[in-house]
Amino acid sequence: MPYIKEQRKETISVEGDWDVGGSTTWKHSTLLQEYAQGLKEKKIIGSLCPGCGKVIVPPRNICGRCHRKMDEKVVVSDIGTVTCFVISAPFAKGQAKVLGMDPVEIGLVEEGERVISVYVKFDGADSNVDTELIGVEPEKVYLGMRVKAVWAKEPQGRLSDLEAVEPLKD
Amino acid sequence: MRNVAIIGCGQTKHSGRRRDVNLAEMVGDAVWNALEDAQVGPHEVDAFTVGNMQGFGGVAQPEQWLGDWIGAPGKPVLRIATGGSTGGCVAQAAFYAVASGLYDIAVATAWEKHSDSKEPGATTGLAHVGLGNTLNMINFGVSFKHLLSMVAAGAAAGVACYQAMYYMHRSGCRVEHLDMVAAKDRRNAANNKYAHLQWPGCTPEDIAKTKWVAYPFRYGHICPASDGASAMVLACEEVARKRCKKPVWIKGLAAYSDEENQIMSEGAGGIGILDASQQIGATMSAIKAYKMAGIKDPQKEIDLAEIYQPFPSQELMFAERLGLFDEGTAWKALEKGETDINGKMPCDLSGGVNATNAIGSSALQRILECALQIMGKAEEHQVPKEVHNAVAHGWGGATNYIAVTVLGDSPY
Amino acid sequence: MSSQSEIVLTRAPVPLVFGFRWSVGRMMEKFIKTLADRKILGAKCPECGYVYVPPRWRCGKCYARIAEENLIELSGKGTLLSYTTAYVELDAVGNFKDLDKPKVIGAIKLENADSTLFMPLGEIKPEDLKEGMKVEVAWREKTKGELADIKYFVPT
Repeated sequence: MPYIKEQRKETISVEGDWDVGGSTTWKHSTLLQEYAQGLKEKKIIGSLCPGCGKVIVPPRNICGRCHRKMDEKVVVSDIGTVTCFVISAPFAKGQAKVLGMDPVEIGLVEEGERVISVYVKFDGADSNVDTELIGVEPEKVYLGMRVKAVWAKEPQGRLSDLEAVEPLKD
Repeated sequence: MRNVAIIGCGQTKHSGRRRDVNLAEMVGDAVWNALEDAQVGPHEVDAFTVGNMQGFGGVAQPEQWLGDWIGAPGKPVLRIATGGSTGGCVAQAAFYAVASGLYDIAVATAWEKHSDSKEPGATTGLAHVGLGNTLNMINFGVSFKHLLSMVAAGAAAGVACYQAMYYMHRSGCRVEHLDMVAAKDRRNAANNKYAHLQWPGCTPEDIAKTKWVAYPFRYGHICPASDGASAMVLACEEVARKRCKKPVWIKGLAAYSDEENQIMSEGAGGIGILDASQQIGATMSAIKAYKMAGIKDPQKEIDLAEIYQPFPSQELMFAERLGLFDEGTAWKALEKGETDINGKMPCDLSGGVNATNAIGSSALQRILECALQIMGKAEEHQVPKEVHNAVAHGWGGATNYIAVTVLGDSPY
Repeated sequence: MSSQSEIVLTRAPVPLVFGFRWSVGRMMEKFIKTLADRKILGAKCPECGYVYVPPRWRCGKCYARIAEENLIELSGKGTLLSYTTAYVELDAVGNFKDLDKPKVIGAIKLENADSTLFMPLGEIKPEDLKEGMKVEVAWREKTKGELADIKYFVPT
């Protein structure tokens, strides 16, 4: 690219490494446990705020707006609307690594495949769930498209039980 | 509360690899440039506010060891880190120091040195921001394909990609407009000797030739990761009137935080914000800052804006949130040339964050650039009209920190 | 509630190491490269005369700019101002590890320098250390222009 380039001296560097993974242990609550168990039974669970009535999926402890505890859980529909979408560039081998692994090399995506990431508002929820949209050409995706959850063939009570969403067939 | 003015500004040249200096030398350069511009000696400064993104350059508290490079011994130093809006909040904290009456002269400085990290760009920093949540999801069995889908959408851009789609859907803006904004920013940066991505004569067609990263962003739309530092000297009214020919008055300021709006909240729970382009913090802080500044009609009274726009869609979106254009019309104004140097509402004549992004420094540079325009010191990118009021904006965190500052050539 | 009081611990499933390389700047680079000639450089402030080792381009006392012309050669001999003996060290994840031999670190003021240098001391028993004793630099056999060229300081 024809940007103006400037030449500057490169002085010696002192090197160092930081093992983020090896040196830190994070503590989390088991709140997602109920959500993952719900997915096993093909149920999408959200937490209901007693103050503003919002249903947040996946569940959380405290409402972000009115700061009340969200103890009550409700089940929302597995049919929803695409509120936003982003289309990746076509994947190529050697282009990017996720957690140290090349997705094309390990067969997760095909060479040239474009992944459609969507925000889905399931009916009854007041938050977006981010997931993948399959079964449609990227050019045909539009905001407001109605979609249905795609469940894993053998649910195990893990987040991956909600595999993706696909266009709702009327 | 006293009136506070900016009496001097200093920057270093921002570039992708400032390997000719170490961090302390780089920040020191900016501070000494500012002190020289203000004609203030280091022993006259009463307080320092500093800031950058923690951990991005591999040093957690750099102000510990660069204190005596910037003249801080014997003075209080306050560190502020609020994501991308760090620079704006650092300047606002210096304002608090002087307006409160506790200190007469304060120096605000912010910087970033991405090239100290071996990973390209801001990878290291961004990775350890999202690491805890990602590990929690892995703990509950998130699929690798899902992680890939998140990375595919957001590797370079994060939630800004989604935010742009929302904005484009609501307003009718198209990818061509993003090309136009990015080209304008890089063209403008060529007239700013401190900017990073300088492309003289860049056209939207040039930007449109670059590869897609994730629709709607191309490589040519995305901000760089720069090394650089900037600094400003703030003073109370008495000192400013005595020592500065044309002080720049901070007439109004406000900052709002919000629920994190990245992709998930703490513990991988959901977020109650359905529209990532709503950015209510921007609207509310603009209302409060304008009220404090006595501005009733920003479209008529604001002469230019420096908007925090690492992505071109944000220049249009935030311009609307700050009340500079009616909802959904910023892209139409862009087509008519209203955001150019000779237009009605020049935006980001310095190239903005799209052309120069040293994260800590970038929001401070927005205030600094407005100050330079009001002082008449912006050299090649000086707007050819009198600037009475300008608005500077900072944005960051998980798209939830906003800082808006209104500057003017008189305190009232 | 029970779901909130239970805690789950997570760690990265794969090693996640981030690398850093900090550029040292011109003055420090000159200092490091000159170690190859078995010389130690200091920077003398042109305004207040304070001498820094390793050298730096901004005086921390009077804030004057120090240029490359103000670099001076130091003899490598100095006085031990203070010292400590370490018996354990930290491993990469925060645990204490016993040292095979105690390590001595001293605060050394080189002749004609004003700032203090913290360096390991070698060829000496901890009980023989004394404040004010004279020390000098011991070089690596083959100096390469790296910080490790200074092996340690020894009593003269």
